[in-house]
Amino acid sequence: MQRAGTSIRLNHVSKSFSIGRKTVAAVDAVDLTIEAGEFVSFIGPSGCGKSTILRMVAALEAPTAGQVTIGDLPPSEMAQHHRLGVAFQDHALLPWLTVRKNVELPFRIASRPVNDQQIDQLLNLVGLSEFDRARPKQLSGGMRQRASIARALILQPDVLLLDEPFGALDQVTRRHLNIELQNIWARNAITTILITHSVDEALFLSDRVVVLSGRPGRVVKVLPVPFGRPRSPSVMRDPLFHQLADDLTESLEGYVGSEEP
Amino acid sequence: MASASRSASVAYGFLGVALFIGGWQLIGAYQLAGLTWPPFTTVISYLIEPSRWGLFSRALEATLWAMGFGYAVGGACGFTIAVAASMFDRLRPMLDTTSAVVHAIPAIAIAPLFIILLGTSTAPSALSALNVFFIMYVSTSAGLAAATPAHRDVFRVLGASKTQQLYRLQLPNALPSIITGLRLAAPASVIGAIIGEWFGAPRGLGLLIVSAMQNFQIPLLWSTIVLATAISAIAYGLFGLIERLIHARFQ
Ligand SMILES: Nc1ncnc2c1ncn2[C@@H]1O[C@H](COP(=O)(O)OP(=O)(O)O)[C@@H](O)[C@H]1O
Ligand SMILES: [Mg+2]
Repeated sequence: MQRAGTSIRLNHVSKSFSIGRKTVAAVDAVDLTIEAGEFVSFIGPSGCGKSTILRMVAALEAPTAGQVTIGDLPPSEMAQHHRLGVAFQDHALLPWLTVRKNVELPFRIASRPVNDQQIDQLLNLVGLSEFDRARPKQLSGGMRQRASIARALILQPDVLLLDEPFGALDQVTRRHLNIELQNIWARNAITTILITHSVDEALFLSDRVVVLSGRPGRVVKVLPVPFGRPRSPSVMRDPLFHQLADDLTESLEGYVGSEEP
Repeated sequence: MASASRSASVAYGFLGVALFIGGWQLIGAYQLAGLTWPPFTTVISYLIEPSRWGLFSRALEATLWAMGFGYAVGGACGFTIAVAASMFDRLRPMLDTTSAVVHAIPAIAIAPLFIILLGTSTAPSALSALNVFFIMYVSTSAGLAAATPAHRDVFRVLGASKTQQLYRLQLPNALPSIITGLRLAAPASVIGAIIGEWFGAPRGLGLLIVSAMQNFQIPLLWSTIVLATAISAIAYGLFGLIERLIHARFQ
C-alpha cells in the first residue's frame, strides 16, 4: 500500500459559537497530529463538536483559538488549490446532473480537463458504472453516498474528509460500504478524517480512533488500531476487535446523558 | 398513475372553464345582471365579425408590443439585479428595499407620472416592465438563495469561486423558481401594458376598454376584456408547460 497525502495538524484548536448573547464552546483545546496517509476517526456523543472539528479542517469554520494546518498551509489555501475532498451525511449531489456529471464537477471547478478514463475507473470502483447516466433521485441511499465519495476522490485530494457519510444508511448497506471504502482506501492511502457514531466502523477503517468528551469536545482517548492492512471483513470477527469495541463503547458511555439540549 | 391524475386535473380545469362560460351565458341570456351583461355568444360573435378585425388587431398589436417590451426589459433587469444582489452581499439590503418600495407604488398611481415623463406611447411598455421587474427580481433572488447549505459547503471545500458557485450551483438551482417567475410575470405584463394605455395611449386594448366604456359600447368592452384575458392566459399557460418540463428534471 502506498501512503499518500499530507499531514494535518490541530494545534490547541478551540471553537465557540455565539448564539444570540450566549456563547457555546463546541471544541476545547484539541491537540492532535494526523500523519500523511493516516486514517483517523473521531467518535463522541452527538453535539460534542465532531463536525465542527471536521469543518475547521475543511476551511468551513475558523477556529476561535489555535490553528489548523494541512502540510504547511492553512485549510483555506488547500481548498483554493482543490486539494480537499469531502463527503457529508447529506450526499449533496446536484439533482439536475447525472452521476457522471456530478463526479466530473471537481474537474470543472478546478478548471482542469475532464479525465474520462479516471472517471470510468472510479465509477467502476464504487460500483456505479451502470448508473453513470442516472440522476441522484433514481439511486438508492447507498448508491448516492458512493457517488458522493467518488466525487470527493476524483481529483486525488491530499485530504479526504468524511462526516458520517453512512450515517443515514441501514446496517447492511453501511457494512457493505465500509468494506468498499476500506478496499478503495487501501489502494491509495489518502490522509482521512472520518466522523462517525459507529464504534465498529471506526475500528474497521481507522489507523487511530479519537474519542471526544461531551460538549465542549476534548480528546479523552486516542486508540491505535492494531490490525494490518489491507483488512478483510473477517477482522470484525476477531476477539481483539470485540475487546477494542467494548473499550471504546465504555469510554463513550461515561458521556451518555451529558448532552444538553 | 401520474398521467391519470394529470388528465383528471385537466378535466377539472375544462369543467371550471365550462361552468364559468355557462354561468356567463345564462346571466347574459336572462339579463340577470341587467343590460350591461351580454351573453357569451353575443360577445364572441361581436369579436369574430370580420369588419372589426382591423380594429382589434391594431389594438392587440400595440398591447402585445408593449407587453413584449415590458416583459423582456423588466425581466432582464429583474434577473440581472437579483444576480448582482446575490454576488455582492453589501448591495443586497439596498436593492431589496428599493425594489420593494418601487413595487409598493400602485401602478395606477405611477401611470400618470410615466406619461408625463415618458410620453403616452412609452408609458404602457414602462409600466409593464415595472410589473415584470419586481416579480423576476423576487423569484430570481429566492431561487439563488435556495441552494442548500450542504451544497454550498461542498462547493467551498472544492475551492469554487463565487462565480463558479453562481453558474454551477445557484443558477441551475434557481431555474424552477425563475420559470415560475416568468409564468407569473406574463399576466402582470399584460396588466401593466393595459393600465399604461388607459391614460391616453394612441392605441391598444387599454385604450379600447376606456373608449368603449365612455361610449357605452358594451359588446366592444366585453370583447376587449376577453382578448386581454386570452393573451394573459395563453402566456401563462405556455410558461406553465415549460415549468412542468423543468420541474420534472429538477426534483
Ligand atoms: N454554526 C453554528 N452556530 C451555532 N452553534 C453551532 C454551529 N455549529 C455547531 N454548533 C454547536 O456546536 C456544538 C457541536 O456541534 P457539532 O460539531 O455539529 O456536533 P457533532 O457533529 O459532534 O454532533 C453543538 O452544540 C452545536 O449546537
Ligand atoms: Mg455532526
